[in-house]
Amino acid sequence: MGLTDSIKKICHNLGTNNKPTYVVMAIATVKGIARPTFTMMDKTENPETKKYTALREGLTEVIAIPAYWACGELSAKAAEKLFPQKTKNGAVNPALLKAKKNLMFMGVCAAALFIIPGTCSVVIKPIMDKLGLKAPEKKQPKPELSKNTTLNTNTVLQQPKPINQTININNNKYNTLNTYANRPQVGLRVGGL
Amino acid sequence: MINAIRTIASNSTLANIAQNTSASVGIETTLKSIGRPGFILIDKDIDPDTKQYAAAKEFLYQATCLLIYLFAIVPIFKNGGFKLAKNTIFKNKNGFEHFNSVKEYTHYRKLADNPSITNRLATLNKELADKTPVKDKYNQTLINELKKQDPEKFADVKGAIELSNLIGSVLGLAIIAPQASHAFIHPALRFLGLESKDKKQINQANQETNKNIQENKQPQPPKIDTNV
Repeated sequence: MGLTDSIKKICHNLGTNNKPTYVVMAIATVKGIARPTFTMMDKTENPETKKYTALREGLTEVIAIPAYWACGELSAKAAEKLFPQKTKNGAVNPALLKAKKNLMFMGVCAAALFIIPGTCSVVIKPIMDKLGLKAPEKKQPKPELSKNTTLNTNTVLQQPKPINQTININNNKYNTLNTYANRPQVGLRVGGL
Repeated sequence: MINAIRTIASNSTLANIAQNTSASVGIETTLKSIGRPGFILIDKDIDPDTKQYAAAKEFLYQATCLLIYLFAIVPIFKNGGFKLAKNTIFKNKNGFEHFNSVKEYTHYRKLADNPSITNRLATLNKELADKTPVKDKYNQTLINELKKQDPEKFADVKGAIELSNLIGSVLGLAIIAPQASHAFIHPALRFLGLESKDKKQINQANQETNKNIQENKQPQPPKIDTNV
């Protein structure tokens, strides 16, 4: 079967029965690949933040794909309980066919509005913790830039240091120096300093 | 209560929307632009400033994607896909010979979905804005179909339009719109006072630092302007 025949078959199937789940699942699949790729390609962002964001975006879409499918199909099943399968003359009930499509669409909307964001906010953090990836630290206060400061490629912006950070400065030599500050400031002092 | 649910569940307009890719994606994106920022705002683990920033960014992202999708991607892919299918794939057969544009098919399909033959014929006799009757837009085959209880709906034409929409939706919402929205989101956030103008400068400095780290360069001390 050639490519043209395959496209014709797909067109016929979509024209006869275009389920609302098809498009959202297709979008979620491509987003799950494209968004993390674009994030990892961003050169302005810190590598750790990039890794965290990309994995988070990927996981969101991994959750979204089955959620869309499950919500759509379960809602469509509910239509069978609302409407009889056949009409009195034995034909397929047209109201049931419409209800299946409508409820599937409503299920997909519910997934987009509540289920996916809710599941993501509950599930993603523990998964990220298990993978050992922590959320990037909260925004630190931005460095003060006075209006007269001009930035060029050699300017290094000073980030405020965390309070608990230990600063390793090799200052042993200062302890051994017999400076004015190290001398006892009490008692008899002979001579200058 | 059950009757009300049944009425909504079997609504024909909703069924048409559910079967229409661009309409359903448009509605879902609108819902996402409400739902996602809403969930960010009710998250208690995020500090208020970050929440506000993240919610505004998510809303602007979804809203921009929706506008780009509806006004750029749908018209291009829908019309382009229809022409490609009509001329190249189906070679003006399987129902394509009756329609010259998506608009013509959509109008026919709307009439064909109407269960009442009387209503269909009444619509055919109506006049358009340029005083020509609606039925002049259709050939005899289509008029004869509309007179039948169960008219032909040309599934291949519908499918070609939906496939074009589906490809457009995927490319548009997953690849084109997110990239294009970046150009709009940051100026909008700055306009709302949620993002500082200095961010761009800080990003440039970060970029420089990252470059130095990658090249294993020793960080250079800041140059002190002795003239100050």
